[in-house]
Amino acid sequence: MRNHYNGAWLLVLPAGLLLAVLGVVPLIAVLNYSFFDIFTLQDRFWVGAEWYQDLVGSPDLYRALARSVLFTTLVVLIQFPLGIGIALLLPKGTNTSSFFLMVMAVPLVVPWNMIPIIWLNLLSQDLGFLGQFLTWMDWSFDYKFNAIHTWAFLLIIDTWHWIGLVAILAYSGLSSIPAPYMQAAAIDGATRWSTFRYIQLPKLRGVMMMALLLRVMDSLMIYTEAFAINAGGPNNATSFLSLELGEQISAFDYGPAAARSALYFLLVLFIAWLFQLSLRRNDTAKENGL
Amino acid sequence: MSITARHKTSIGRTLFRCVGLALLVVFILGPLVQTIMVSFVSTLPHDDLARGQLTLVNYRNIFADPDLVASLGNSLIYVSLNVVLTLSVALPAAYALSRHSFVGDRHLMLLLLTFRITPPVVLSLLVFLLFARLNLLNSPVGIALIHCLFNVPIAIWILTSFISAIPREFDESAFLDGHSRAGFFVRFLMPAIAPGIGVACFFCFVFSWVEVVFARILTSTGGKPITMAIQALFGFTTDIGLVMAMTVISLVPGVALIFFVRKHISKGFQVRA
Repeated sequence: MRNHYNGAWLLVLPAGLLLAVLGVVPLIAVLNYSFFDIFTLQDRFWVGAEWYQDLVGSPDLYRALARSVLFTTLVVLIQFPLGIGIALLLPKGTNTSSFFLMVMAVPLVVPWNMIPIIWLNLLSQDLGFLGQFLTWMDWSFDYKFNAIHTWAFLLIIDTWHWIGLVAILAYSGLSSIPAPYMQAAAIDGATRWSTFRYIQLPKLRGVMMMALLLRVMDSLMIYTEAFAINAGGPNNATSFLSLELGEQISAFDYGPAAARSALYFLLVLFIAWLFQLSLRRNDTAKENGL
Repeated sequence: MSITARHKTSIGRTLFRCVGLALLVVFILGPLVQTIMVSFVSTLPHDDLARGQLTLVNYRNIFADPDLVASLGNSLIYVSLNVVLTLSVALPAAYALSRHSFVGDRHLMLLLLTFRITPPVVLSLLVFLLFARLNLLNSPVGIALIHCLFNVPIAIWILTSFISAIPREFDESAFLDGHSRAGFFVRFLMPAIAPGIGVACFFCFVFSWVEVVFARILTSTGGKPITMAIQALFGFTTDIGLVMAMTVISLVPGVALIFFVRKHISKGFQVRA
């Protein structure tokens, strides 16, 4: 149990100060810049809410948002069933599972800009296994000009990169189920499905919410991989939210870029708040013995 | 269900499990095996080596290039700095959040959550301007600092869940024995949650090591970490073998850490709002 003690702020202070300098200061500056037309940092004009009006009135924003939401939806629909499935296949608490968990963790430590390089190399016709295999099968895979292929390629890469995180978290949730629960289910003759549905799935809820939050945010704002694979192409088919922002920043459109950043930050804050609400509901449900 | 039928389904299940896990290993390791293989092949004509020959020349070339060697040092410096800084502010905060409730604790949690998931692109421009003013560009210190933005929240979550697993009486008996709070932290709490500290180090290391958006914008002219040094190898003629050798080297510390925390990796994620 936790007791109420406001002196605890002293312990939180160093972390709070660090985050304030690194996060809150740039955020305030973003807000400030978003109201100016900036030629150089010394030479700028107040434009009020003009950038926001432009942004909210432009169909490009909604198209990028729709693409990002679709990408995130696909990522979640692929990676969560797959990750939970993998976790269910692993025998609990053995060296075999710890081997598989280690293997799946390896893509997590690959630098993000290396991931597209590795996959493009795999697809290359003269060195890559996959490229040679596709040529041999006479299948054409045109990730540069065929939008469906670009999407499929990005989804495969993203799944390769992150499936380990989902599977590791699912495995940790499953391992926390006390053995008597599963024995009781077996004695009652519960089927595999009902054991999963009524015992394992509810126990997974907490860790899966965590995984969901991390996966939703990282895929919604995917930048490095998408940029390196096709820079938003073909024909803007993979121009996600972050890519449009990155483009504005590299074009030195500081004012509009700041307005866009501020808008994205509100979206992030909203998602974080939703997540906290649902976690808290989960906690109260637990305290009430549900 | 007859005994033979049950026996058959269990064989089917085992087969399914083996095939599934084998496919998984091929999917995960395939691209990495390819990377390692290419790193041992000469991909540009070097002195007397033909293209496509097996060789160690790529690894020799890494250590012959002062920029690449310096980037290894830069990466190790900024990641270590980041982990030390993150843990030293996260540990007291995690203790406070685990043992006490206080005014604004939920808002603090929301703030932590928000900073963890704010994409670097959103802040990159202003962080660049702020760090230019603070004279922190092109140095590992700048990267180490800005990566705290997403690592401090992670470390706080992981450590909070490990500290909450220790009963309060543990703290109280140490205080009754006359230990100060600082003494309690170093002599009692840290050893008791050593696996948690290991897991927190692992995740801080991983998220800092792989991050490229802040690393790129903060090191445009110098102090480049491994990720940016590899990026700089791309040009008119790219020696892809050298790129792959450098990639393999960039994986070594991460893989070593995975091995060290393998027993605890799945334990640090019971989150509380």
